Amino acid sequence: MRAPDILLSLLLAGLAAAFPFLVNAYWLHVMIIGMIYAIIAASWSLLAGFAGQFSFGHVAFVAIGGYTAGILAVSLHVPLPLGMLAGIVAAALIGAGVGWTCLRMSGPYLAIFTMAFSEVLRITIVTENEITGGPGGLNVPQLFHAQTDLPYYYLILALLVVSVVGMMLVLASRWGLFFRAIRENEQAAAAAGVKVTRFRILACAIASGVAGLAGGFYAPYIGILTPDVASQDQMGLVVAMAIVGGVETLPGVVAGAIAVEFMVEALRSYGQWRLVLFGLLLLLTMRFARNGLLAPGWLAIRRLAVLQGQRLIRGTAD
Amino acid sequence: MLDYFLIQSANGIVIGVIYALIATGLTIIFALLKIVNFAHGELYMMGGYFGYYVITLAGVPPLPAVVAAMAISFAFAVAIERGLLTPLYSPGMERKSDYGILITFGLAVFLRNIAIIIFGPFPLRPPSFFDGDLVLGGLIISYDRLVAAGGGLLILVLLIFFLNRTVWGQALNAVSQSRESASIVGINSERMYMFAFGLGGALAGGAGALVAPIYSLSPSMGLVPDTQAFVIVILGGLGSVSGSIIAGILLGLSENLFIAFLPDPNRGPSYANAFGLFIMMLVLLFRPTGIFGRHHAAME
Amino acid sequence: MTGEHTKRGSSGINGKRALPRRDVLALASAGAAATLPVFGRPARAAEPVKLGWVGPLSPPGGYAEGLLMKYASAMAADDINKQGGVLGRPIEILYQDTRGMAAEGTAAAERLCVQDKVAAIFGEFHSSVALAEMEVVHKYNVPFLACDVWSQEVTAKGYPQVFRNSITFPLLDVMIGDWIVAAGFKNAALLCEQDDIGLAWRKGVADVLTAHKTPFQLYTADPQATDFTAQVLRLKANNPPFDLFLVLYGEAGAYPMTRESHSLGFAPTANTALFVSGGEAVDPTFWKNVGKAGLWLICENVGLPKSAWNDKTKAFVAAFNAKYKTDPPGSAMEAYDAVWNLAEAIKNSGSTAPEAIIHGLETLHWVGTRGLYTYSTSKDPAWAYHQYMDAPESILQYNAQDQSSFDAPIVWPKKYATVPYLYKKPTA
Repeated sequence: MRAPDILLSLLLAGLAAAFPFLVNAYWLHVMIIGMIYAIIAASWSLLAGFAGQFSFGHVAFVAIGGYTAGILAVSLHVPLPLGMLAGIVAAALIGAGVGWTCLRMSGPYLAIFTMAFSEVLRITIVTENEITGGPGGLNVPQLFHAQTDLPYYYLILALLVVSVVGMMLVLASRWGLFFRAIRENEQAAAAAGVKVTRFRILACAIASGVAGLAGGFYAPYIGILTPDVASQDQMGLVVAMAIVGGVETLPGVVAGAIAVEFMVEALRSYGQWRLVLFGLLLLLTMRFARNGLLAPGWLAIRRLAVLQGQRLIRGTAD
Repeated sequence: MLDYFLIQSANGIVIGVIYALIATGLTIIFALLKIVNFAHGELYMMGGYFGYYVITLAGVPPLPAVVAAMAISFAFAVAIERGLLTPLYSPGMERKSDYGILITFGLAVFLRNIAIIIFGPFPLRPPSFFDGDLVLGGLIISYDRLVAAGGGLLILVLLIFFLNRTVWGQALNAVSQSRESASIVGINSERMYMFAFGLGGALAGGAGALVAPIYSLSPSMGLVPDTQAFVIVILGGLGSVSGSIIAGILLGLSENLFIAFLPDPNRGPSYANAFGLFIMMLVLLFRPTGIFGRHHAAME
Repeated sequence: MTGEHTKRGSSGINGKRALPRRDVLALASAGAAATLPVFGRPARAAEPVKLGWVGPLSPPGGYAEGLLMKYASAMAADDINKQGGVLGRPIEILYQDTRGMAAEGTAAAERLCVQDKVAAIFGEFHSSVALAEMEVVHKYNVPFLACDVWSQEVTAKGYPQVFRNSITFPLLDVMIGDWIVAAGFKNAALLCEQDDIGLAWRKGVADVLTAHKTPFQLYTADPQATDFTAQVLRLKANNPPFDLFLVLYGEAGAYPMTRESHSLGFAPTANTALFVSGGEAVDPTFWKNVGKAGLWLICENVGLPKSAWNDKTKAFVAAFNAKYKTDPPGSAMEAYDAVWNLAEAIKNSGSTAPEAIIHGLETLHWVGTRGLYTYSTSKDPAWAYHQYMDAPESILQYNAQDQSSFDAPIVWPKKYATVPYLYKKPTA
């Protein structure tokens, strides 16, 4: 890590800790939702951006994590933290299964297969309403009995930091190298001795487990879980967040998710124009700033900061 | 019982032809541009509204209005292609399929929601092609459905003729197989991409205009055909026109029979969409590039 | 202005002034469009009374109904402001699209309560979303007057902040069930969309039919479905035959289903009656979509029947017609009256404080377009709490094509009925 990165990290940590005291409860709520999306988008980014598996069904694992925790809590009275843990495990296992199933698929076939998986799951949740609450929703008990969202905020902040740093460590390790090797050229990676099968499945399992974690937090936070968490619209939103942040840097994706969530909320007062504007913004970003807005922006700032710093040092030396 | 089976099958085939029409457009776009058009259902929706306004504002009779809707949809799709898809053709472009999915997804969100503002939220319905129903014993099919199926078949036949027997059609086919060799023989591949997206849009728009008197038009009408078209093109093999036609008709037929005969009538229709998706997932498991899929169609 | 907002809006996310120019432009437009007020502004003396409206304005929600309710709310605010507003202050309504999604409802309610600091919230169309919004208004103690949400849970939860001026399933289902028994139907098929509205409706009607020992069969289908051929043929082939086909679907599904059901000779026919529930059959483009298939169709109406109209109903219907070129459905009247209800409650208790509005609604005695409004404070049964118990509801059956729902004969209940029969069999 270079000096500007460390400085920024410290600054961000301070800002994150103080955030609830700088804004009102509404923007705190938006921030919490933004951080949930940040976890989902970052895990999708690990799978699609680094491991090269463009999944269009990633939100299914959010639903699996959420519904596992919710159903266990509602039907079997399992304590929520235990249920959330079970949700992560379930999402990771099913994710590994899906990863294994689509080992031979790539590109659009993989995207459509995963989309179909998530649609089938959504329709099943809708139809089996005796267990899932169906479209009317599953009422999930609260995690904290507090009047404010503060405990939720610090919990999701911790979860976000742990999961993103964890995924970054994975990506920085040999595993991450294998992921990228498979993405660039599967045959060549296999020839070089990378266990392609194992690492494709592993990438799926890690990403799905992290998505399941986000779902497990989302359920008790919103208090009502509806099948549209696994809708294609949600998937598109998650992908848009990752793209705006720049798929190839996880902190960029996190910033992208939070920025997009704030934007979508800020557009709220535009009524039926809101999604029109959102669609338009997505189109313009994709069309004219394909590498995302935030990561390139940060690089530019850093370059400028380094330059200024050098000039400053030179100035005092004179 | 046999009667019931035959009636349900006949209706399933009629629906299947319309599915096929939507799906062929999607597959042509994929064969040339190598992208999955997530806004295809929205092009279908727009085509329906184009037809509606050609009838109500310009006073064109319903059948010629379908042709007009296809022409407008063609122009509309070409405008979209020029505005949004040209980055796909630059040689330095990485991850074209991701770009294609995202840009068309954004387009779908945009079109679906602006349609509510432009066309209003309530369903609209153009006049029937012909009033009344065909009654043959126990079989009842409305003339609108017959016209939609007949018109759909006619368009599909013309399309196959066009693709195989005309210079432009063969040029499309050449570019879909190899862009480099096509350019060696002097085909301007970028013009072919533009043409393919326009053609795909025209087919979707024609389908929308044909079904308008049957299903009515609403801004969210593209949601279901979107997923169904994906199922069909995967079953038929991405890029294969004849595969899409066969798979479309088969899907229409099997969905209808699924609803008609599922033992649990309460759940059946809820799972109707999942049924097609499920079959598709099974097919992909055993043939990762679809039933009739050509291997070069897998992404580079 | 634009520059300032951009700076403020982006300062939280590592500052973007050093971005390439194109990106700055994109962000500036986003920021300007957003007018992101992170910090609340201090209130001024002559500020309007702010009310928040929540409801679906885009898919997957019921955006068609949402839009009509939004129109009617705006008309109410205009009418109130023309009369000098309330407590000398004008009414301002802030509209929030909730898309029929619970999480969107939570965010919308949070925004209205915390950010916009509205005096009260009204509206909504989807019960599952209203249930999520209720938790927020309960947390912040903001009065919430639910309009077109029919799930009994909304009022049964017993939150002091929550009121409802529409009917609720127990009232509607009992009425439909009583009519089915009185009209002598022997075997009913219930088909509904697989969503919160459809399932709650179905459960209620099924319970009533079970209590009356009337045989019935349940079916559900995807809310986005538009092709019902296979389903209708299956129903038609059922043995013993159905004599009543009850449907609850959104417009996009209900209209093609009505046409298909008619064209395949299932219902409405001499053998089988067709009942379309949920308000689709009184909406603006109904006849244009169903044509002759709508003749003899039966549906419920949650507006006041024409025979019972007062001056306010007449004035509202005329004004709505003049402005939007269509008859207002009952749900639009609910939204219109909701704004007036809140204004009256504020006026009577002389304050916009939550307790004052709640008290004002509990003691309300006011005639609107849907009759005399009073809110029950009894909790027996639980759903009666803060419910408009006399919410009008009736069943009508069209007897002419292109008939206005206002002119259609009312067959049930007896107190509103305009014809002696309970059900007229289609002829030929």
